[in-house]
Amino acid sequence: MSVGASDDNRALVFQLTDALATWLPTQRWFAAKDRPIARVEPVSVAVLHHREDEDPVRLEHTIQAVSFADNGEVQLYQLFVGYRRILPERLQHVRIADVQEDGHWLIAFDGLWDDELASSLLPLMASGETRNGVQFATEPGMSIPKVTSSRVVDTEQTNTSVIYDDAAILKVFRRLVLGTNPDLELCRALRRVGCPYVPGLLGSIEGGYAGEQVTYAMLSAYAVNSADGWSMATASVRDLIAEQDLRAHEVGGDFAAEAYRLGEAVAAVHGDLATALGTSSLNSDGLVALSGAMSSRLDAAIAVVPALAQYAPAVRTAFEAIHDLTPPVPVQRVHGDLHLGQVLRTPTGWLLIDFEGEPAKPLSERLRPDSVLRDVAGMLRSFDYAAQHLLLTGDSDHQREYRALEWTERNRAAFCSGYAAVSDFNPAEQRTLLRAYELDKAVYEAVYERQHRPAWVEIPLRSIARLTQQLT
Amino acid sequence: MESGHKNPPRKKPIEGSHVTDEGLVTHPKAAEYRHAYAMPVEPLWFKRAVFYEVLVRAFYDSNADGCGDLRGLIEKLDYLEWLGVDCLWLPPFYDSPLRDGGYDISDFYRILPEFGDIDDFVALLDAAHRRGIRVITDLVMNHTSDQHPWFQESRRDPDGPYGDYYVWRDTDTGYPDARIIFVDTEESNWTFDPVRRQFYWHRFFSHQPDLNYDNPAVQEEMLGVIRFWLDLGIDGFRLDAVPYLFEREGTNCENLPETHSFLRRIRKIVDDEYPGRVLLAEANQWPSDVVQYFGDPSVGGDECHMAFHFPLMPRIFMAVRRESRFPISEILAQTPEIPSSSQWGIFLRNHDELTLEMVTDEERDYMYAEYAKDPRMRANIGIRRRLAPLLENDRNQLELFTALLLSLPGSPVLYYGDEIGMGDNIWLGDRDGVRTPMQWTPDRNAGFSQANPGRLYLPVIMDPIYGYQAVNVEAQLNNSTSLLHWTRRMIEIRKRHLAFALGSFHDLGGSNPCVLSYIREYNPPDGDKPDIVLCVNNLSRFPQPIELNLRQWEGYVPVELTGRVPFPPIGELPYLLTLPGHGFYWFQLSPREDAQ
Repeated sequence: MSVGASDDNRALVFQLTDALATWLPTQRWFAAKDRPIARVEPVSVAVLHHREDEDPVRLEHTIQAVSFADNGEVQLYQLFVGYRRILPERLQHVRIADVQEDGHWLIAFDGLWDDELASSLLPLMASGETRNGVQFATEPGMSIPKVTSSRVVDTEQTNTSVIYDDAAILKVFRRLVLGTNPDLELCRALRRVGCPYVPGLLGSIEGGYAGEQVTYAMLSAYAVNSADGWSMATASVRDLIAEQDLRAHEVGGDFAAEAYRLGEAVAAVHGDLATALGTSSLNSDGLVALSGAMSSRLDAAIAVVPALAQYAPAVRTAFEAIHDLTPPVPVQRVHGDLHLGQVLRTPTGWLLIDFEGEPAKPLSERLRPDSVLRDVAGMLRSFDYAAQHLLLTGDSDHQREYRALEWTERNRAAFCSGYAAVSDFNPAEQRTLLRAYELDKAVYEAVYERQHRPAWVEIPLRSIARLTQQLT
Repeated sequence: MESGHKNPPRKKPIEGSHVTDEGLVTHPKAAEYRHAYAMPVEPLWFKRAVFYEVLVRAFYDSNADGCGDLRGLIEKLDYLEWLGVDCLWLPPFYDSPLRDGGYDISDFYRILPEFGDIDDFVALLDAAHRRGIRVITDLVMNHTSDQHPWFQESRRDPDGPYGDYYVWRDTDTGYPDARIIFVDTEESNWTFDPVRRQFYWHRFFSHQPDLNYDNPAVQEEMLGVIRFWLDLGIDGFRLDAVPYLFEREGTNCENLPETHSFLRRIRKIVDDEYPGRVLLAEANQWPSDVVQYFGDPSVGGDECHMAFHFPLMPRIFMAVRRESRFPISEILAQTPEIPSSSQWGIFLRNHDELTLEMVTDEERDYMYAEYAKDPRMRANIGIRRRLAPLLENDRNQLELFTALLLSLPGSPVLYYGDEIGMGDNIWLGDRDGVRTPMQWTPDRNAGFSQANPGRLYLPVIMDPIYGYQAVNVEAQLNNSTSLLHWTRRMIEIRKRHLAFALGSFHDLGGSNPCVLSYIREYNPPDGDKPDIVLCVNNLSRFPQPIELNLRQWEGYVPVELTGRVPFPPIGELPYLLTLPGHGFYWFQLSPREDAQ
């Protein structure tokens, strides 16, 4: 195998421009399904793997700029395109189109699904190669595992993950954003300080576009034998709801011990982030700005979810209460989108993953230091979701609602106690700021649910009703 | 049936130990007794065996005195053979004042008279061996009863031959770092003896003085005891309370190097003089400490052949109650590799309480809350219940727990009566609640004894759910869907697959935390076909789906082991299974061409 610059110029992906315009909108991670595509254009191409024999195979890395008929914002998508003469049955579902090379037909497909092609990325990372601007790197002091097989996890909205031999997981960002991805940035920082509550970062693939650094992919140790917090928590809630007459601390599936340990893990990660990246503080202007941002998000949300209007005065009061806090309020880099789906229970404890921040927010906002209570509020809201979503299906009654609330309260308290055991404060005692963050999150959720899962919009609305009642 | 009766009459030796006028304690010799028919030597039999703990007192009464005996046990060996038991574990049957279930031995050379005599014991070994069943028993090495003549002589004559057989001190301040085990009854590990006017050391009850292993004579005495029973034909010992043999100031007096070196000495005697016999350590410690008792892995292990895996059992209960695999996954992930000639012993229940020593305080509170709602159910740091009442007699859970016992790594140890789902009596004192008579029939005394019911050593269970009229062997033998028949079938399936006994263990994980899945894989050394078994257990009471990453076995066909039904072959995608509440599957993974 030898790859040179001339190869890149003759890359087969140039033949795919038209095919991609129809293929991209069929992909789960394509973010503009409702915008007609005007043009798809390769803005970066690199040949990564090339084997010429009786069964030739090829892998090309490309960034495609997608422009739309509405002349709106151009989006960048990253592809690893594989080529084979014969496409095995199991890869037919990721076929893109046929291309020609020296008079032979080759089939182009999503190369991440191909064992050989996906595995070919790791040696590039191990030897730290650069291919036409695509930089492969190993994290200092880490080593890239040698693997024999790979499988794709394609359930995420914005990226595709490849799991290698239960040893490592490569997270490939599909839609690219200029600037270093906060997931890579924070995982690097946490690795530097030896944080045990995140999967170890092993390596990365990065590049540049328009003079800015762009994160293509990151390789982490795979948390073998893990389950996410959401499935753990909902198993517990299911157990409680089935009992009817037993209380949350009496049923076998009690989650409080797990919630406590989860609080410890989150506090430890916050401490490590502060150590690695420093802290700053909000003065009274900063507090006003924070409150103002929350209020304007509320205004925008009411336009989408009119039912929010009845709570708006009380919610605003809660946001304005931030003004009365005594500055300075400490802030630092945080996870930004913490919920039960972003934590993994392994046989030894909890891990936090996906430090990208709230995907809907622009990158500059996601990089901004924030109070750790943002993350705490995210997790507390997630407990509420876990408890409430089972009530959406099946007949709800007062008894079950009462039990679900009890579950939430018990696990919120346990989480905060666990947090306080590691950190120097109990988040539950920071009532004003915590409540504002929770309301801000619930407002965001109401918009999200209205747009994606209308049946679930009741969950944040009911929580907002509850949180504002507690105010009076 | 017992060959002993066909031999020419011989002079019956005087039973047990005696104290001479000179204050010497004499012991009988094995040569004075008939020796049992020996089973063929099979060095690693214990790695494949299904063990069955049976209390002689509780199993069957052959002479209508209200107490089970060795001759009674012989009469019931056909039942145990039918069940598929490979080895009986008998808790101590030595002469004893019975203040601690026989673990307070007053004469190592004499059988408790109500159980029979040494001839009866040899007859039991004979009858068991002829059925392919081995027999091991407890040997209490750490201490004796205070009624043992060694102790009586030791307190009477500090300067005599037994004066240094026990650990005597003028004060009660030594070894302050050693924990007190029986916290319910003991305040100190030292007790003052008014006769010798000194304190003696005891890790357990104050009526069980610890032997002084720093005295070479004590070591020789115990080796003599071991040789005596091995000469008669016993297949091995469960060594009771091994971590505590030696004491050293400034330590917690557990797992000391001196203790290990003495165990190596015993193992060498077994290897050299009694090959094929087994030593099973009772060391209620974390697995990482217990592995020390297997000895040096570079020689395949040179201390005990087996050791109980204590922390696994409470974790199984906790996992099912929490509907989460992590308590089990965690403890197995913390369990180190063991030497090649070693095996874990695993159990769900035994004659002691549900041992909670090896769980954290928080988990212990949780177990108490979940499984012992009545304070009487708590004893020491444990819970005294049988399996069926612990699981509220839920057949699905009983099957799930038994399937876990028979498929997790280690040799399973069943507790007598659990195969029929016997109950307990928490109103009986100490740990007697789980030691009631075996329930054979719905007749008087549960068919256990012909004695007047008032004469039974303990009353039979009579409550409406677990009473002998509802739960007994006879009824379950006549019902092919009974727990008894089910247990027998599962034991039989386990024995067909060496992977269960000898295979490696690989936790498969999976996204559903309620499901515990693992692969047991055995590769025979002769290069024969590997035996691969997939076990999937739903720890939740609700039906659950699970997607398993079985790509390593792509193209293999899972064949369900109870019905031999082939399931769809394993493909590239995660393998989807659905399980009923508390359901489980055992599959053999066969290459496609072998599955048909």
